[in-house]
Amino acid sequence: MAPIQERYRSKRIYEIKPTDGGVELRLSDRIVELGKQEYGWYQKVAEWLPSVRGVADLSRDLGMDEAKVPKFIEALAGTGLLLETSSGPQTMTGLEFHARFSSILGSWLSEAFSHPFWERMMSGKGSARLFTGWLIELYHYTKNANRHMPLSCACAHEKPIKQLRAKHYAEEWNHYHYFMKSLKALGFTEPQIAESVPLPMTLALSNFMRQAAREDILAYSICSAVLEGTTTDRGQYNPYYQKAGELYGVPKEAIAPIYAHLDLDVQYQHSDLFQDILKHVPQMSRERASRVLDYGHELVEHIWMWTDNIEKYYEVESNAVPRRPFDVRVD
Amino acid sequence: MTTHTDLPLLRRTVTVARDDGHVVLRHMRDEITLEGVAAKLFTTVQTDLDGKNQIDAIAKKASAQPARLRSLFEQLEKAGVVAFLQGRDDAALMTGIEFHALHHEYCEHWLEDVYRHPFWDRIMNGTATRSQVLGFAFEKYHYIEAAFEHMGIAAANSTPEMMPHLARHFIEEYTHGDIYRKGLRSLFPDDVVLRSQPLPSTRALVNYLNESAQRSSFAYYSGNELLQMTENSSGGAGDAVDTFYGAMRKHYPYTDKLIDSFIAHTKADQKLGHADAFLLMCKSVPPLNRREVNDALNVAKNMAEHLVLFMDGIDTFYAHFPMVPRLPCDPLTE
Repeated sequence: MAPIQERYRSKRIYEIKPTDGGVELRLSDRIVELGKQEYGWYQKVAEWLPSVRGVADLSRDLGMDEAKVPKFIEALAGTGLLLETSSGPQTMTGLEFHARFSSILGSWLSEAFSHPFWERMMSGKGSARLFTGWLIELYHYTKNANRHMPLSCACAHEKPIKQLRAKHYAEEWNHYHYFMKSLKALGFTEPQIAESVPLPMTLALSNFMRQAAREDILAYSICSAVLEGTTTDRGQYNPYYQKAGELYGVPKEAIAPIYAHLDLDVQYQHSDLFQDILKHVPQMSRERASRVLDYGHELVEHIWMWTDNIEKYYEVESNAVPRRPFDVRVD
Repeated sequence: MTTHTDLPLLRRTVTVARDDGHVVLRHMRDEITLEGVAAKLFTTVQTDLDGKNQIDAIAKKASAQPARLRSLFEQLEKAGVVAFLQGRDDAALMTGIEFHALHHEYCEHWLEDVYRHPFWDRIMNGTATRSQVLGFAFEKYHYIEAAFEHMGIAAANSTPEMMPHLARHFIEEYTHGDIYRKGLRSLFPDDVVLRSQPLPSTRALVNYLNESAQRSSFAYYSGNELLQMTENSSGGAGDAVDTFYGAMRKHYPYTDKLIDSFIAHTKADQKLGHADAFLLMCKSVPPLNRREVNDALNVAKNMAEHLVLFMDGIDTFYAHFPMVPRLPCDPLTE
């Protein structure tokens, strides 16, 4: 690995939009415009940086004199597309970390909900079956809070953080009833739903939260904060239910409990919980901050993949709804 | 008096197709075709085959001879499409050997969705992207490297009967991630490989193994065995794997060393005799009740679904988010 490869790494690009002359790259804090040729060069640099290939290989790929390559990479770093790995503080306070998290949460949520499923549902190309499937999985996801929230209390070490996590659990543990109410309004019986089996990716969400809870209470709390972030602003993230209700003939009785649940979350101010927890963290190393961010971003990716799993399963008409557990006597 | 044939049930997973007066019933790999009177009789009574109606009542409703119906249902039971709910003692025990045979029959069926996954064709015909191909190698690495997690948890939480098997399995497998790592090091620095992040779908598979291993060592291995079956089969899946690697080498020459590592791993597994590991475990466990059988089979079925998800992740996620390798976060990269 050349020294220059150790010195720089790519920053996350959240969206790439073609423009007349090139592309617009959206980072969490800026938009960088590149011409088509420059974008091609940038892609080659981004691919080369974490590889074992030498500067001569990159120079050949770029069609650029080898001596000019470092200057070009420096220029890319200047646009904000690359990060100089030695830059930035090695420690930060909990609240500084929260400020950093808050500045990227919007980009993360846009990534989590960038799955084509949402556009499909909102444009009328979805179905009542997909809506129902989504609700069933939301029921399981909410019920599965009981698999990870108490574990996070058990694994927390500092008393004030334990208290905050326990309070959150006490306020959330039975919220799956809201989704049961919705599903009953859609004609399902309580045993049908209660005994059903979640999709693998729904189960994966709670398994990942369990993993986070065991690893680091801040890793768990950032995941929780990402999830709460989806419920802070009804207008921004939840026009889905109303629109889907109109498009797919979902009865009002099935929608009302979902909004009641969202309103309760807002009322509890759960979106402030992460900040309250971080107030009790005087200092974080860069390594810990990075690991906690890893968990947060992995949760974002879990949401995207969860959506994919829901779409792929429930769009197949022959798949059982709800999903029953396997029974050797009858299957 | 209620006999064991009184409450017939058409198995929930049976598909029924009708064609030119014939009725075709399919269950897993079995198929039976009814013709003429038998087809008509089945069609008349099909909706009553829910395990709640006695044969005499079904016969009366359909104006049919009970003996004739009973004979039809018994033939359908032999073909595996009908079950009789009563008469089977719920507390009846199944030996480990019986379970092993049943498990393999179901797993082969559940694995069909994995073998049918469109990603295999994309590699075979050369339409997979660079990200998907390299992503496939990274995700395989992460999954194999995770032996440290699930095999370690399984050994640490095992029943007395399972402990020697799970301990041996862990000790034999924990270095296998390094075989894949060696392949990846032909393209990426070691540090990058070690710090790379698995896809959420790969993490889902590993975490499902971890959680199962913590809860029940036998159910865990029932699921793990399904994964082993994809590599250890001689003929069938084994031949398909060889063809797959041949096509991958042809379309993606830069993956040569990666494929060498995949093959080295398969050979290492085969040399260890892992194909027989589950049979030995089944021989050593006490007989299983229906609840234990269902638990172990549910884990295997869920594992098959997680394996499809693993494939979906490589196929779909890398198509939408082509960054590979997937580097960890830093406060300044986000």
